[in-house]
Amino acid sequence: MAPLKYLEQEYPILDSNFQNFCATHGIFSGPFPPSNFSRIYSPILTPSFTFLGVRFAPILLLFWRCSLFDCSELKDTRRKHMKFRALHKKTEDQEDLLLHDLHVLVAFAEQQSTSERLKQGITQVLSIIDGQHQPWLNGMELLEDAQLNKHVLSTGCEGIDLLLEGGLRMGQLTELVGASSSGKTQVCLLATSNVAKKHMGGVVYLDTGNSFSPQRVIDFIRQNSDPAIDQAKHRILQKVMNRILCHSVFDIFTMFDVLHQLEVNLRSQMQKGDCQVRLLIVDSISSLVTPILGGGGSQGHALMASAGFLLKKLAHEHNLVVLVTNHTVGGEGGISKPALGESWKSIPHVRLRLSHDQGSSIYNVSVFKHPSMVSGKAARFTIYD
Amino acid sequence: MEEVVASPREWIDRNESAKTMLARVLTARPLLLLPPLHRVPLRVGNVVELVGTSPSAKTHILIQAAVSCVLPKEWNGVHYGGLDRLVMFIDLDCRFDILRLSKMLKHRINGESNGSLKKIDQEHMDFDLWNNDTKKSPTYDEELYSLCMRRFLFIRCYDSFQFLATLKTLNYRIRKEQELHGISVHILMIDSIGAFHWIDRASTFMPLGATNRKTPSLQTVSETVVQEIRKLLLLHPMLVIATKATIFGDRYSMETKRNLGKLDTSNSRSMSSTSLQLPYREYMPSVWQNGCSHHRVLWINL
Repeated sequence: MAPLKYLEQEYPILDSNFQNFCATHGIFSGPFPPSNFSRIYSPILTPSFTFLGVRFAPILLLFWRCSLFDCSELKDTRRKHMKFRALHKKTEDQEDLLLHDLHVLVAFAEQQSTSERLKQGITQVLSIIDGQHQPWLNGMELLEDAQLNKHVLSTGCEGIDLLLEGGLRMGQLTELVGASSSGKTQVCLLATSNVAKKHMGGVVYLDTGNSFSPQRVIDFIRQNSDPAIDQAKHRILQKVMNRILCHSVFDIFTMFDVLHQLEVNLRSQMQKGDCQVRLLIVDSISSLVTPILGGGGSQGHALMASAGFLLKKLAHEHNLVVLVTNHTVGGEGGISKPALGESWKSIPHVRLRLSHDQGSSIYNVSVFKHPSMVSGKAARFTIYD
Repeated sequence: MEEVVASPREWIDRNESAKTMLARVLTARPLLLLPPLHRVPLRVGNVVELVGTSPSAKTHILIQAAVSCVLPKEWNGVHYGGLDRLVMFIDLDCRFDILRLSKMLKHRINGESNGSLKKIDQEHMDFDLWNNDTKKSPTYDEELYSLCMRRFLFIRCYDSFQFLATLKTLNYRIRKEQELHGISVHILMIDSIGAFHWIDRASTFMPLGATNRKTPSLQTVSETVVQEIRKLLLLHPMLVIATKATIFGDRYSMETKRNLGKLDTSNSRSMSSTSLQLPYREYMPSVWQNGCSHHRVLWINL
């Protein structure tokens, strides 16, 4: 969020006279100028973020800004608060102009001697604000985007594909809920192998409990492949495994780091045919969020909501399938219910419930919530060892 | 002040009869009657809040309202009974599925046109009217469909500042769209007004510098939102429908299910501190509550 004097470089009408006028009404900063440079590198411009007086290289700056402090002390609420602020890239200067009534400001401007110029300045600022939100689209444009970009990726598991009418949809956040050892990780690994192999897309797997197993992925790939020549097999296997990137994350701040890095990579990446990331898995998001929920204060819920928004933004803007897993907790009357509480319920697009028959390899999946399907529809599928 | 009334009689004389006035108002500001809101006819200038738990049909109602609004009253001889206006949708939840709107619109168009064909052409009635209709006159449906889809204007916001930026520039945007389409905006829909509640609540900042500086907190953001909507309603009279998902529902869910029938104050473990007993816990600041003219609670028993 740039102080007004930085906007003067790009828009000379916002001169010192305008800045003084705004300062008398408590407005010290304005919206971002449209250039991307200052949006990413804002810590350089604001004095409160020089770290040890050293200027870091621009690429590192983004990661440094997100992981500002040592991540070990999560219980300290003050540090949590500071980390939260760093995450949201909020500096001491805020978006004052957005919180003020611009009509009142125009009325004040009329009383000044340089009223015309001040009013032009306000109009200029309004047009910058207009560039700050997402563009308005009409129904046809949305539909075209959905039909062209938001395809359906099959998971490799027929039961789930049939239930979801094709598979997981791009641009949507899908959640798998289930008790422990109900097959959530198995489904994630199966989806990973299928996307990497059949759809030839990149997969980013964020693993919170060391449950990612490359051997299992290879088993899944080998299961569905045709009995091909052995020479080509090894090369193909290597190519497929190269598309899968696995990160171990053990707390929510590391997850934010990884996701921001992914966002930067995706934005700057050219359209490479083979390695475009198509699937993002967070297994499991409940183990990242549950430790920070509760204990009074709203930081935990705020971080959970931010994580949800970031995942949905990544899904929509870069056409990814985002798959997260969640565990269950006991509810009223002994019936288990999904963890993460009421606020999380309205974040994923699709929620599926998995369960496992003891001792067999048959899994049940049912629809908990879906944007265009009635909940309660169920299916069964088998995962072979 | 410059006009001088010629005579008192002229001043008392009526301008128009009640019948012509009603006719004028109802065409310029039509009522929107939708189940389950049909018991309360909603008019422009109303700010309605639909409250419900997460899997209740709030977005579904919004989509139904949008379809009713964008359809014309009559098209090619078929009566659709729509309001023939634009709809603006601000998606704060980022979960809107355009395919649902598209399916519902197609269903409504085909339903109406099937009905009219049945009346007109009874000898050539076929049992498989759906397929026949689309085969017979695809262009007829497509034109209306694309016209209606273009009347639906959509934006999504990923945080409060983007939402505020949208509201501030909404005035100019509405004017531009009205010039483009030639019809006015009737409904402004906000999906999940409480979407940024937790994030705003956690980001309270200490005030620096001048004391007249506004810091973004839950209170100031809500105040600005209500202020902007009020100003917008003065300039462009329209209906505002906002949905809200309940939170803190679980702790009180057993109580609320039992008390839904009787909302009396005799319940000892009351959740709400206000005198009005609500079946959910209110979390939006009071400035928003006072800004709404209607509250409608949707409760779906699962």
